[in-house]
Amino acid sequence: MSIFKYLTVIFFACALNACTKLDQPPMNIIQDNDVFSSSGGIQIYFSRMYSELPIEDFRYSPARGLNMFWIISPFSAITGEALSRDQRNAMTESVLYWGNAYGLIREVNYFLQTLPKYKANFDAGDVDSWIGEAHFIRAFTYFALAKRYGGVPIVTSVLEYPTKELSSLDVPRASEEKTYDFISADLDTAIAKLSGSNQQGRANKYTAAAFKSRAMLHAGSIAKYNQVSFFDDNHNRLCGIPADKAVTYFKAAYDAAVTVEGHYSLYKKSWAAGDKAAQYQNYVKMFFDNESPENIFVKQYLYPQSVHGYDAYNVPRQCMGPNGYSAEVSPTLNFVEMFDGLPKNPDGTIKNLDGSGKYLLFDNTMDIFSNAEPRLRATVILPGDIFKGQSIEIRRGIYTGSAAGGINPVIPAGSTIPYPNTNIVQSANGSQDAYTLPDGTKMNPAGLSGAFFADETCSMTGFSIRKYLDESLPQSQVKENNEAQTWIEIRYAEVLLNRAEAAYELYSAGQTGANYLTDAYNDINQVRERAGADMLTAPTDLNDIKIIQKERRKELGFENKIWWDLKRWRILDKEQNNVIYRVMMPFYVAENKKYFFDVRKDEKNRSYSFDPKWYYEQIPDDEINKSHSLKQNPGY
Amino acid sequence: MNKLLYFISIISLSAVSCSKLDNYPMPNAALSGRVIDAGTKNTVQTEIGSGTRVKLEEISWSDNPTPFYFYSMQDGTFNNTKLFVSTNKISVEGAFVPLVQYDNSGNITVDQRQTVDLHKGAQDIVFEVEPLLRVEWVGDPVTNADSTITVKAKVTRGTSNPNFQNDVSDIYLFLNTVPYVGSSTGNNDYFDPRYSYTMSFSGSDGNAQLGQTITLTTEGKLPPKRSYWLRVGARTTYGLKQCNYTDIKKVTLP
Repeated sequence: MSIFKYLTVIFFACALNACTKLDQPPMNIIQDNDVFSSSGGIQIYFSRMYSELPIEDFRYSPARGLNMFWIISPFSAITGEALSRDQRNAMTESVLYWGNAYGLIREVNYFLQTLPKYKANFDAGDVDSWIGEAHFIRAFTYFALAKRYGGVPIVTSVLEYPTKELSSLDVPRASEEKTYDFISADLDTAIAKLSGSNQQGRANKYTAAAFKSRAMLHAGSIAKYNQVSFFDDNHNRLCGIPADKAVTYFKAAYDAAVTVEGHYSLYKKSWAAGDKAAQYQNYVKMFFDNESPENIFVKQYLYPQSVHGYDAYNVPRQCMGPNGYSAEVSPTLNFVEMFDGLPKNPDGTIKNLDGSGKYLLFDNTMDIFSNAEPRLRATVILPGDIFKGQSIEIRRGIYTGSAAGGINPVIPAGSTIPYPNTNIVQSANGSQDAYTLPDGTKMNPAGLSGAFFADETCSMTGFSIRKYLDESLPQSQVKENNEAQTWIEIRYAEVLLNRAEAAYELYSAGQTGANYLTDAYNDINQVRERAGADMLTAPTDLNDIKIIQKERRKELGFENKIWWDLKRWRILDKEQNNVIYRVMMPFYVAENKKYFFDVRKDEKNRSYSFDPKWYYEQIPDDEINKSHSLKQNPGY
Repeated sequence: MNKLLYFISIISLSAVSCSKLDNYPMPNAALSGRVIDAGTKNTVQTEIGSGTRVKLEEISWSDNPTPFYFYSMQDGTFNNTKLFVSTNKISVEGAFVPLVQYDNSGNITVDQRQTVDLHKGAQDIVFEVEPLLRVEWVGDPVTNADSTITVKAKVTRGTSNPNFQNDVSDIYLFLNTVPYVGSSTGNNDYFDPRYSYTMSFSGSDGNAQLGQTITLTTEGKLPPKRSYWLRVGARTTYGLKQCNYTDIKKVTLP
């Protein structure tokens, strides 16, 4: 009896409960309808995609890749813009961007596939704009691949594994031309669908257009200047674009750049005509004004969630923060010499010697730069210039020899030898023994910010980097992972330069759709006027693509763009052909209390040779090994 | 007794687990050879690590194999003693007219790859190629009183095929303090940038040097009482812009 009773209880207990549905979505995993049911969910989805976007910003270096806090081999130290103690030669990227790109592309594809199912939750205009924005992100990612590898596999839908056959997922590389055409098509979709405004840090219609001018200009340059040709077995040209496509791409770049006009403008809030000081301040402030009309696309940082260490690594030595680091970026004389307003020799090099080959003497180190282009001062800290309320003291040594009758160069021209110790006192590092001057006062041989001949935690070139450094950051706060200034990925000056270059290329190809030469001339002069540089006087002055290239190198220097430019112009192997970059070292003359500048090759003889095979980077070997269809680029 | 049983069973288990051995043969094929100039029959000189390399496509494994590469030595000979027995299409890549050529639509127009059965033991193959440039010494290096070294050399075209007669872009005098000399990118391990000399040309300016006796002198002052190894290199703008070289000469400064 009692057994029967128990069985009854058990029977009912089981029978009553068995109907509960077990196939429940797990409560601890976010589902599609959690994300795609509110605009907050969509924003979070975008936030993730933007955080993964391959922007080469304060947290990028070719040695360590994207989103890395430790930037001690800076990008500018492989382009000739600067020297850095941690970069001793030319290089290509050693962290190869590939797997993360396809991860991000998958997220975009998933978004594009899923959003239409939930569109009833949203306003139709919003849905359209988000679809455009996703296309922008995908195009941005594909461009990051194309500029590195040439043609890459194009994946436009979410690849399902294991439900699909593995071989169907092994997508071969498309031709380089098809890859750029795909980027162009994605950006056209983005331009058509995106709304005209968006949150800061997100793309709008004109961001997509501005970016299109960059990508298409790149494609046009490859078509025009690239010499490498590489086919797969199915006749796809993986490296190289037919030369006759150049005009098509330059036209696309030009048209896209024109679209941006009127929606963004050059930052001139505190600019004043003819006032070099105001132009200098204006140029400095441009990088810190979050309301700048020039900022087309930015990446924001916020302490403490998302931070970088730009100031900690790059302040001049005497502004070093509590945890060390300083002066990772020392701009080369080659970079400085491009600017206007410096005394120059007929060959364009800086004039530091008088007619008889003796040093020119100056009362202050800033005197030689007294007429310099304001943009130079805003980009580079010149020896003796004021930063954070103090004079940045850069001095290589004290000349103790006789100054009577002028001083001959302390080493022969073009020499690679160290400075001699005769007639020169110098310092190995920051702990210096003061030298007693003839008038009895004491002076350290080297300046507070260098240059020291052994320890390189100082200016190694006579210059220090200025652009993007936050002047208001107290010295105690100059620490790694403590800075949060905004990175400007696309600004209007670049669009103007894209437009000028595309227009000039169209003009030189004999195209007559618009008055391309005058257009290019106007674009360049807008950039130059704001910079305080010498203006072109007539469109006919613009008679060489090198004028536009040089303007770009000056305006966009130290913004992590120049390496790609030198590569797409295919001139980097010519520039970095066993080259040792030049520096300009200030010396103090003990006898007459003057300064002279010695121009020489880098004292450490860092020699740069760019390998032409690096125009197309190496696809990661493990990706080649995983795939049956992926072809490696030539030379690897 | 129980303990002993456990012990015996553990021993027997471990004995069983070892029974299967790796049954693949070790790489016991070897390939050596030379890349020679079809005109002069001398080996085509190259540099270490980024010069001539041998490409093996193992067609006995797959129709579409991932190529395997190994580099040649700087004198243009190569040797690899750890290859698997297999059938391969073998070619070489370097500063010479490529063995596989394509037209503008990606069709193969020239294919001089050699299909080789790599069997057990050593094999030797020779590739006859047309170097882009021929670089030859003219006389011997001369040591100057100012601690420099002057050499004379001559650069000529190595091919009559106009598709590969690109402009001469650079002529180099490389100097190193060890017998391994040549262009090297990145770390500059194979020449000393302080003393090596570069003649760089733009456009077609460099072509005027072809056939001339070119005099090149090292830069700076060489430290005395040491040996230096020198060679002259030259390159055109073709492809990956690799150098052709003379052989290496040793000079000892008094």
